[in-house]
Amino acid sequence: MPDQWSGFSYIVTNLARFIRPDEVTFSGVNSTPPMLACLLAKRAYDFEFVYINVAGGVQPTPSKIPISSSDPVLSEGSTAIFANEDFYDLCTRGGMDLCFLGAAQVDGPGADERLRDRRLAQPEGAAPGRWRRRGDAADGAARGHLAHGTLETHHGREARLRDGFGRDARRGHADRSLHQARRQARPAIVASGGVARGRCAAARRSRSSRMARRRRRFPTAREIEALRSLDPQGEFERDAKVALR
Amino acid sequence: VGVDYDPYGSGKDVWVIPAIQPDIAVIHVNEVNELGDARIYGTFNWDRIMTRAAKKVFVVAEKLETVESFKERPELTMIPSFMVQAVSIVPNGAWPGSCWPLYEVDYPEVEDYMNTEGSLAAHMARAPETKEAAHA
Repeated sequence: MPDQWSGFSYIVTNLARFIRPDEVTFSGVNSTPPMLACLLAKRAYDFEFVYINVAGGVQPTPSKIPISSSDPVLSEGSTAIFANEDFYDLCTRGGMDLCFLGAAQVDGPGADERLRDRRLAQPEGAAPGRWRRRGDAADGAARGHLAHGTLETHHGREARLRDGFGRDARRGHADRSLHQARRQARPAIVASGGVARGRCAAARRSRSSRMARRRRRFPTAREIEALRSLDPQGEFERDAKVALR
Repeated sequence: VGVDYDPYGSGKDVWVIPAIQPDIAVIHVNEVNELGDARIYGTFNWDRIMTRAAKKVFVVAEKLETVESFKERPELTMIPSFMVQAVSIVPNGAWPGSCWPLYEVDYPEVEDYMNTEGSLAAHMARAPETKEAAHA
């Protein structure tokens, strides 16, 4: 049925529903679902938000939807090229509202396994290959947190930092920086290879009324049409291979 | 400035400096568009980092350019519009300083500005604002 979810449409559409009016939103490398989510939000929602991406695009109007989320076409139509170092800098200064991060793997509470174990090059466990990388936005944002005690600000987002994030990464120093990070940074859970889990369910109760109105059980007609226009042949959906368990 | 542990595990102390976050940065640029994107053609000195650090950015520009021209050369944009809160077009607004390559530092005028032997009234009488009022 066209008005019901597939695993893929559920992930992309609900990523798009994280985006809020007037916020600065970033989509990173090797992250086609967030890339599609940002583009979907631009097409399906009436409000304005600042969309920047790892290709340097600032409010881009790409003429086509690339396979890679770092394709330079994603800077097409921009009035500025926002360099990667500028994005990382913005993260450390708390200038990001919403950041779609690549990650090695995450658990239900939203802890990034790579950060918890500090084995950046060899993350454990099974994770879809597209998330098992380093040198991406997650690295930059996380290092910003470690160095400055601030992560990009995900105001009121659903999952929050797990204790292990700060304690292990900071070698036993669960200090004011972690608490500061908790207040300022509440990372959204990254759904990959399935639907979002963990604290999303609990956090859904605390979302704003605006989000509550916008978040619906089923995709809206505009959301369906937007995703269809972005992936008319189902290429991204086949590539994502989302399996529900 | 203080000493903290190295979060990357070297075991050595590292010096840390708190980030400075000005409330407002006011910078002068060559060109801006109606969205607030700004270009700096000359040396930008501290302009770049100040705009990244400040909570708000006000831009004073020599010239208003079209949005289309910025789309043609987006790599020339130093400050993207989403960082800019307000824009003002003030040709020659950096004088007696420089806005390269449009004009250089006016050293005689700077020296005169620094001259404390003259009267304040005489100094104020030579201000550009008084000349603008005379033209109005």
